[in-house]
Amino acid sequence: MKSESESLQILERALAAAKADEADAALISVDQNISRFANSQLHQNMSEESASLTLRVVLDGAMGVATTTVFDDDEIARTADLARESARHSSRLAGFSGLYSANEPLPDVDSFDDATARLTAAEKARALRTMFDAGAASGVQFAGSYASGVASVACANTHGIRRYGRMTNLDATVIALGADASGYATARERRAARLDIGALGEEATLKATLLPGVHEDLPPGAYDVVLEPAAFGEIFDWMNMIAFTGQSFEDGSSFFVGNLGRRMLGANVTIVDDAIDPDFLPFPFDLEGMPKRRVPLIEGGVVRTPVLDKAWADRLGLEPTANAWALGSSEHGAAFHLALSGGTSTREEMIASTKLGIWVTRFNYVNGLLEPKSALMTGTTRDGTFLIRDGKVTARLPNLRWTQSIVEAFSNVDALSRERRAIGTWYNMFGGTLAPVVRIRGWNITGKQQPAEL
Amino acid sequence: MTPERSQLESVLRSLKDPALRYADARFTATHQQNVKVRNGEVDHLSSTVDRAVGVRVLVGNGWGFAASSDTSAESLERTARRALEVAAASNLAATAKVTLSDVEPHVASWASRYQIDPWSVPLEKKIEHLLQATEPMRGDPRIHQVAGEISCYRQEKLFVSTAGSSIAQTTTQMGGGIEAVAIDEGEFQRRTYPNPFGGDYQAEGWEFIERLDMPAKALVIRDEALALLSAPKAPAGRFDLIVGSAQLALQVHESCGHPTELDRAMGLEISLAGGSFLQPSMLGTFRYGSPLVNIVADATIDGALGTFAFDDDGVPAQRFHLVERGMFVDYLTGRDTAPAIGRRSNGTVRAESAARIPIIRMTNINLEPGDVPLEQIIADTKRGIFVETNKSWSIDDLRLNFQFGCEVAWEIENGRLGRMLRNPLYTGDTPGFWRSCDAVGDRSSWQVWGLPNCGKGDPMQTMRVAHGAPAARFRNVEMG
Repeated sequence: MKSESESLQILERALAAAKADEADAALISVDQNISRFANSQLHQNMSEESASLTLRVVLDGAMGVATTTVFDDDEIARTADLARESARHSSRLAGFSGLYSANEPLPDVDSFDDATARLTAAEKARALRTMFDAGAASGVQFAGSYASGVASVACANTHGIRRYGRMTNLDATVIALGADASGYATARERRAARLDIGALGEEATLKATLLPGVHEDLPPGAYDVVLEPAAFGEIFDWMNMIAFTGQSFEDGSSFFVGNLGRRMLGANVTIVDDAIDPDFLPFPFDLEGMPKRRVPLIEGGVVRTPVLDKAWADRLGLEPTANAWALGSSEHGAAFHLALSGGTSTREEMIASTKLGIWVTRFNYVNGLLEPKSALMTGTTRDGTFLIRDGKVTARLPNLRWTQSIVEAFSNVDALSRERRAIGTWYNMFGGTLAPVVRIRGWNITGKQQPAEL
Repeated sequence: MTPERSQLESVLRSLKDPALRYADARFTATHQQNVKVRNGEVDHLSSTVDRAVGVRVLVGNGWGFAASSDTSAESLERTARRALEVAAASNLAATAKVTLSDVEPHVASWASRYQIDPWSVPLEKKIEHLLQATEPMRGDPRIHQVAGEISCYRQEKLFVSTAGSSIAQTTTQMGGGIEAVAIDEGEFQRRTYPNPFGGDYQAEGWEFIERLDMPAKALVIRDEALALLSAPKAPAGRFDLIVGSAQLALQVHESCGHPTELDRAMGLEISLAGGSFLQPSMLGTFRYGSPLVNIVADATIDGALGTFAFDDDGVPAQRFHLVERGMFVDYLTGRDTAPAIGRRSNGTVRAESAARIPIIRMTNINLEPGDVPLEQIIADTKRGIFVETNKSWSIDDLRLNFQFGCEVAWEIENGRLGRMLRNPLYTGDTPGFWRSCDAVGDRSSWQVWGLPNCGKGDPMQTMRVAHGAPAARFRNVEMG
């Protein structure tokens, strides 16, 4: 991981090479260790040190971007040439008022944890070995990954913006595989003290060993579902792509279009991009250097704003939201700290008050491109799907296929837990998804996983 | 900046662990250029160069891998030391023996072929080509967006291993596509050519973009996008389904390519992408599809994204059947997995770059052509639906239950294409679907499609693969 002085020195050289009307640059440096395991064996174990520089130049109101992983003067000059060449061939950005210059103070958030930074591959391997042994005693084997890392993020521009921040990340996914069933647990945290891989192993084991041999089936239809936080990971990844980005707003595919200020979802649904919540995955600025703040996207069911980079905020005439996580990205903003507000219930209360329903641990292979205007999505359940009958968990269900409008589903939420959990997404090093347990009425089950007939 | 072969060989010689069983070192330089136009403007122009070194070691029964974007000699040595440290950590949690299949040493250089270097074509020409293909689609107020994209990709790779191999490979690829988005009264329809998500991709140069002839297809997809706005919704129920080449290529990818990855079948990828219903005990005995279904993995065909000379284990590229006359006969394997089924690696291990661990990846996984022209398949269908161009895709964690959405469908009544239908969805289970295949199109409908975005691994690795597929018919498929 690069220090503040190293990072800013590289950025200064990049800005000096830009030779443009305006320019900004971002340097991201990551040291990470990822330990993957399967069949209770550590089978892939990697350590990576990486750094990349992105330079964006503005010439006559048009932008060009180039990225490199080499930082000597010759390469930086070549990168600047490429960025200028791109800018010369790009179109002027409608309404663009220039790169960020206000230089407001950053929120005081703590995104770095020394204990996490010191965690070694050997310590993680020992913790995994302990978990493997505990699983063997319970008759399960584990698969998953246990990742830890430190990263520095620096950005600067020709208006005097200079930002540097460090963050730590811990991300663990554990699947427990029993004789005829599996269970799952996952978490992402900034602090090692808040992520216990052994506890995740126990949670996954509980799911894998619940109601052994008790299997039932459900025909397709609409059922009440109790969704665990992990189920919202992929849902929100897709919501980000098809509904929340500046580009989806402009191209008309988002259900936000024409509906800003209108109630589209249930009054108990609030979705916020929140990078300053100390209990989530805080980070103080985006790559354009704007201070992060709490940005409601859906507030009490009312559509508020898509997430935007500076250029698209100008273009669309909307307030900037500090959501540039890649300079010059064609997404023009992404929500990397999506938080679904909690309620007052608990998972146990939701199950106890459900007549006939399904308790879902997680979803698999969700796709949100079916009909973007209603956020119609499909996917299957996985690693722990249970039948709820008369307030009790009574049987294991096969993995079920569902096809469901998320706009409709978020209009049918009738309970949310107070407790929430942060989970990671593979493409998002800055944040993740924070979600409670949620009960939704009338979720459309459309099929199931059936064993292959020989 | 670019290490010499001798430096990679030297760093392998420097590895001093008495329990070292195998090591390799790689360098990659990955160059990408993307040009996108939207509604008459150049929307996105970017250039990326990503360099990396990676060292992989097997010490006892512990794997260690380390990588760095710093490709200097000092960094390479540091990276090698870190790989040994990581392997030592792996050994703390090692519970099984690692066995590698044999590999012969190879000293070779290889490069994919092209006629016109993608980087020799000026940006002006690329932009002009895209504007020529997209501007004619504008004008109707219901056309909300027109867009076009051209992408260039080149990866230079050096590989050396303690098995005695020293291999240099360079692949050059291009992709391109256009789209029209129509919106009216809340209905949103997108039509693309030749495929969504940036179009089609081949290991060729600018000649591929010229051959696509996007300007000639622009008005066709514009008109189809507009027609879809008022087309009836595709019906639910059971129908005989004819799947066009581009969509069937993705069906092959999801329901044959992934489940025949041996690492998935062994549970090694279960935490992220899932497992496979195709278990080793089924090899040679499981009827995957009808006798018309022949699926081969072929890393040797000219000009495709999954073509190379050697994989990242140093194993030569190969062609072999995965499904032969409907029977499941082989997996995609690597040196560390093939011994589990008593076989040698068939050379399908690749990494996105030197910064990632090589894992089993699809090469070019092709449904072999049959002997019936598409026109005849349609003519022989009394009542059915023809679907084309993927819109959505989803399949369960064992690659059994799938659901696909397509951009467009047409009714078939008494052997003729009829009304256009919007938002078609079809669903099924993999073996049931392939066993219902009763007509496979001949070479006239067969085409190799490039997919540059196959995701697998942790951290996620995006791999460039390809699929040859004709059109084919499947009986009694559930739609809606």
